Amino acid sequence: MAKEPVRVLVTGAAGQIGYALVPMIARGIMLGADQPVILHMLDIPPAAEALNGVKMELIDAAFPLLKGVVATTDAVEGCTGVNVAVMVGGFPRKEGMERKDVMSKNVSIYKSQAAALEKHAAPNCKVLVVANPANTNALILKEFAPSIPEKNITCLTRLDHNRALGQVSERLSVPVSDVKNVIIWGNHSSTQYPDVNHATVKTSSGEKPVRELVKNDEWLNGEFISTVQQRGAAIIKARKLSSALSAASSACDHIRDWVVGTPEGTFVSMGVYSDGSYNVPSGLIYSFPVTCRNGEWTIVQGLPIDEVSRKKMDLTAEELKEEKDLKQQKMIHTEYKILPSDEPVAVEAAAGGCWEDPEGAPADPAGAESGDGAETAVGDGAGLDPGPGCCGYG
Amino acid sequence: MDFVIEGIDYTSVIQKALVLLSCVALSWKMIIYMCNLLNIEQDPIRVLITGAAGNIGYAIAPMIARGMMLGPDQPMILHLLDIEPTSRSLEALKMELQDSAFPLLKGVIATTNVVEACKDVNIAIMIGGYPRMAGMERKDVMSKNVVIYKAQASALENYASEDCKVLVVANPANTNALILKEFAPSIPEENITCLTRLDHNRALAQLADKLSVPVSSVKNVIVWGNHSSTQYPDSNHVTVSTQAGDRPIKELVTDQNWLKNEFIAEVQQRGAAVLRARRQSSALSAASAACDHIRDWFLGTPKGTWVSMGVCSDGSYGIPPGLVYSFPVICEKGSWKIVQGLSIDEFSREKMDDSARELAEEKDLAYSCLNA
Repeated sequence: MAKEPVRVLVTGAAGQIGYALVPMIARGIMLGADQPVILHMLDIPPAAEALNGVKMELIDAAFPLLKGVVATTDAVEGCTGVNVAVMVGGFPRKEGMERKDVMSKNVSIYKSQAAALEKHAAPNCKVLVVANPANTNALILKEFAPSIPEKNITCLTRLDHNRALGQVSERLSVPVSDVKNVIIWGNHSSTQYPDVNHATVKTSSGEKPVRELVKNDEWLNGEFISTVQQRGAAIIKARKLSSALSAASSACDHIRDWVVGTPEGTFVSMGVYSDGSYNVPSGLIYSFPVTCRNGEWTIVQGLPIDEVSRKKMDLTAEELKEEKDLKQQKMIHTEYKILPSDEPVAVEAAAGGCWEDPEGAPADPAGAESGDGAETAVGDGAGLDPGPGCCGYG
Repeated sequence: MDFVIEGIDYTSVIQKALVLLSCVALSWKMIIYMCNLLNIEQDPIRVLITGAAGNIGYAIAPMIARGMMLGPDQPMILHLLDIEPTSRSLEALKMELQDSAFPLLKGVIATTNVVEACKDVNIAIMIGGYPRMAGMERKDVMSKNVVIYKAQASALENYASEDCKVLVVANPANTNALILKEFAPSIPEENITCLTRLDHNRALAQLADKLSVPVSSVKNVIVWGNHSSTQYPDSNHVTVSTQAGDRPIKELVTDQNWLKNEFIAEVQQRGAAVLRARRQSSALSAASAACDHIRDWFLGTPKGTWVSMGVCSDGSYGIPPGLVYSFPVICEKGSWKIVQGLSIDEFSREKMDDSARELAEEKDLAYSCLNA
């Protein structure tokens, strides 16, 4: 007997992460090979045609599990009834922009998204924030959607987690599926802390600690960490665009493990609402090691933390606190006007963002980093595709 | 008749021996079966993607790595080939594939060297080719591509594994596949195919939309001919699964006119429609269709279902042999077979012949470019 379809929302769906993500969802990578899905794709009005193009391609692919596609620029329609929300849309950082500029644009975006989700998503909707600054965007979402259980709001650090697994497997020349239990602590930024102290590798004589096999603490404490931290930038340098394929794939892993459960003996990294575990201040969205069961994540407790790790974990918590304070400032400077429909609309300061402010023109609807695309026919060997819509994950 | 010599009942002995042998044989079979169940991992299959640094390559690589092309238990090694100017993007693709920690992906070779790329590959997806730019004549596109495909043919012939299965995606797909076939004579011609599965899937989707049914309820459309505007999406043998069993589409779509006109035009022109909306040609759906094409070829088509593949014509349905033409096929044990005996009405005959004529012209054009 076929299962009821699950509704999955992807915001910023006209961008390149959306384009990589939607076929993965439609093929059952995110929710399982027997779980039908209905895709809700949301983006801003300047991207409406491109969004429709993605809808056409999804239909053209004749995916057996895909039971419907809603492609819309209306946040209410986008959020209605969704069980899973993957927030890829956001204002990307452009050259010359200060961090606080990116922050203020994203505050307004995530505030209005929060309202839409809170009112229209299905109860117990699971939310994954991908757009940067991921942790803080998730925090904003949480603050403005108080009726969404805080455990249902997470951010993506699985990409860093997978990158760390990849680096270890390369170093040891073993299949990546034999490596597990690295941890990404903290912020999805350059202060993230990739920790291998509890990671193991499957060998013919059982599971062995990574440190024991790598036999090079200097590398593990130095180059390994900085490679993982800066991998996003390395990809941008090589592709001239931020990671899309690997970000999309990790988003699928994050949701799948959350919904279906983590394998026995394995933990993964997720950005979740801190409850004070490991002396990380509560009230932040911080990446922790978690196991998942019955649709719920639980922080792995009791892992010994050495001094080096402690310092790094505190450093990234510091940065998150600063981001939180910056966000607070941006929020205070925004005024509200209540419309007859009772929808609050930000009218000042944070205006100019992608989502609202009918009086202002969006700063750059074509979003993301630009590259050239000289595609005119199937078979081109060297096209680079930015895609319209906002997406700024790195 | 008893077989007794010197008091020893040989019949009884032989009977007992036979029983014993059968028991041993059965036990052996059970042991082998249980060993297989222990999930001893299969050897990785090598899959080549040419033009890998482009948009279709970017879409197809994670699909393959997740098992959408070869099945959820089949590990693979990806060979990514593209031209020198794209080498940084190619390297970035390799990095992203590593960053995704795909359990089935056992290795990635990213190279601009065609020999290294083709070495020992079991499957070759040829996406790389010269795209048609504004202002180019068909002849110009053709002349660039025949050169590329002739070179690719030698490389594959010399370095790919013996039973390598080839899928040509780059346009003009049918003729590129033909060139490949002609210049790689030691590759069995049944192993050289081109992609019309995208058109096939588009056709299914249009029919499903017309009937407001899930696309998985519609099957057995046929795309005949060239992957171009002369392709013929044929709905005559389509069935739709309903509560009352599989019904022929004619019972459910009363508007015959739509089936003979708008439906055909929609499918033929869908590529252009997507290009207009996205300002890029289809990548996601092309990649997905390529996975479907290989998966069905490799793992077999479901019972009672056929799919469309561009294959070397053997003269079936009056199509001249020696062209790469899209036919309805079923697949079993790694081989495809043209579905025979389907009735072809006059309307269909004309369209099928039109497309065959165009392919014959393309073939002549291709040869004239090669000999120029």
